[in-house]
Amino acid sequence: MNEPAPTIDMRGVGVTYRKRLLARQTEVAAVTRVDLVIGPGETLGLVGESGSGKTTLARVALGLLAPSRGTFLFEGRAFDPQVRRQGALSVVFQHPEWALNPRLRCGTSIAEPLLVQGLRGREQRRQRVRAMLAEVGLDAALVDRFPGELSGGQRQRMAIARALITQPRFVVFDEAVSALDVSVQSQVLNLIRRLQAQHGFAAMFISHDLAATRYVSQRIAVMRGGEFVEVAPARKFYDGPDHPYSRALYATIAGETGENAKELAS
Amino acid sequence: MSAVVAVSNLVVSYGMDDGEVFAVDGVDLDVVPGESVGIVGESGSGKSTLGMAIGRLLAPNARFLGGEIRVARRSILSCPAAELRQVRRDSLGFVYQNPMSALDPTLRVGRQVALAIGERAGPAEIEAVLGRVGLPDPARVAAGFAHELSGGMAQRVVIALAIARNPAVLIADEPTASLDASIQGVILDLLAALRRDTGASLILLSHDLRMVARRCERLLVMYGGRVVESGPSGRVFHHPRHPYTRALIRAAAGNEGPGGMLEPIPGVPPVLRRSSPDCAFAERCEFAQPRCRQERPAVHRVDGREVACHYATSELIRADRASAAPA
Repeated sequence: MNEPAPTIDMRGVGVTYRKRLLARQTEVAAVTRVDLVIGPGETLGLVGESGSGKTTLARVALGLLAPSRGTFLFEGRAFDPQVRRQGALSVVFQHPEWALNPRLRCGTSIAEPLLVQGLRGREQRRQRVRAMLAEVGLDAALVDRFPGELSGGQRQRMAIARALITQPRFVVFDEAVSALDVSVQSQVLNLIRRLQAQHGFAAMFISHDLAATRYVSQRIAVMRGGEFVEVAPARKFYDGPDHPYSRALYATIAGETGENAKELAS
Repeated sequence: MSAVVAVSNLVVSYGMDDGEVFAVDGVDLDVVPGESVGIVGESGSGKSTLGMAIGRLLAPNARFLGGEIRVARRSILSCPAAELRQVRRDSLGFVYQNPMSALDPTLRVGRQVALAIGERAGPAEIEAVLGRVGLPDPARVAAGFAHELSGGMAQRVVIALAIARNPAVLIADEPTASLDASIQGVILDLLAALRRDTGASLILLSHDLRMVARRCERLLVMYGGRVVESGPSGRVFHHPRHPYTRALIRAAAGNEGPGGMLEPIPGVPPVLRRSSPDCAFAERCEFAQPRCRQERPAVHRVDGREVACHYATSELIRADRASAAPA
């Protein structure tokens, strides 16, 4: 058998931050012990309250933070910072403003990762940018605009275009749709699903919103206090997960309407 | 029962550099004592302008172009400043989206509660109010500053300020938007419990149709500064009649089944440069007819709710309504 190595492979990963408080050093465990495998083309949803360790785990997966304990393999090998320069890893944040320089035209921002990658030909870059914009459903004329001249949905599409232009093999979406309005949110969620089907990258979709997470993910990990309390197929989050904490999250998106529970009938 | 909040035919615009933008374009809203009303809409729908207008708490460039707002029988738009202050203090309680910007960072929490209670409140009264919103150890919270609180605790303090004088109406504008998912339910439970205990009315503003439908007895769906559909929340949510309400339900994650697809609403919401002479949603509506672009729809009473659509009663829209929202 010749199965490809998983994109992300974490075994017993733990992360401890050192915190200096009034000359006293204390250690804070952000992630206690996590085993996690994400295969090529798979999206893992990561849900949990703030402080549960979601972002710390994402930083480990992106090679930005070395785990204090355990092992982390990227595509079957120990993480080599070189893959970052190749553009194999990408992130999309909650606020596209953080990804796009307000003083650069959008086209320049999107082409930048290609330049870092070493693609010298200006015309080649321009073509790749144009193709990428078409993929995220933006008009090619928008390359000459500044981020401030775009709507929130257009800006997030731009940020996604910039994240995907190097054809990364792993993408983190960190609250990527949380700041968007309902109908724009569904456009971007559909876009993420379509692009993944086309490009087959592995992804981690971090959100506090279970409804959005289960829509784009194949599996969902529920995180609390630095560890996974439940990892299950996304389908399970449509009819009721097991762990009490997952069920509390599930209850926020399922249930009766207030009219039926009213006690003050007119 | 007479309404505690009565808004009739309200029109509000904002003066911008390049002209007027209409935020509220003819809205009627009656809230009876003890009732919970949810107002749903995307950003730019006018819901926050409507909510804040009830306390006349709008930005200086806002202009009231028409209509009337009465709170506890007093006219908000024409009463003198002293009377307006009294209505705000005694009848209305506001809960804002971001508790950290709603609290004064330079005053101890207890001092802010004392100001909200008024009339030289002592420590016992201050702690009683903080205790009512479920804060453990109210004395310690009262002695602290806003930055020492977690988001959930800060929002409880904001709610304590809002209920300090037992207002007749609580107006909560996206009260959980800046909070963790795990605390959102707790804060909404708290608002529901306070409403039950005090008999206050609750006006809940949010973009989250599902959440509002669960939490409120009655729903108003806003689009382009108008109320396009209103009625009992179960009926509106499970059997929407206005094309916009249906489109909104189909677009929101959480309403689809496993493996199902979300259907985004094509196009973008309008920026109203004038009171809309036609149906503001016509541009994006899958059922739009020529009439929708020529004539402003009147409000029709259909099936136990009010719908502002020319075709509210027609088979055109009723035909596939069963597919709109899964139960």
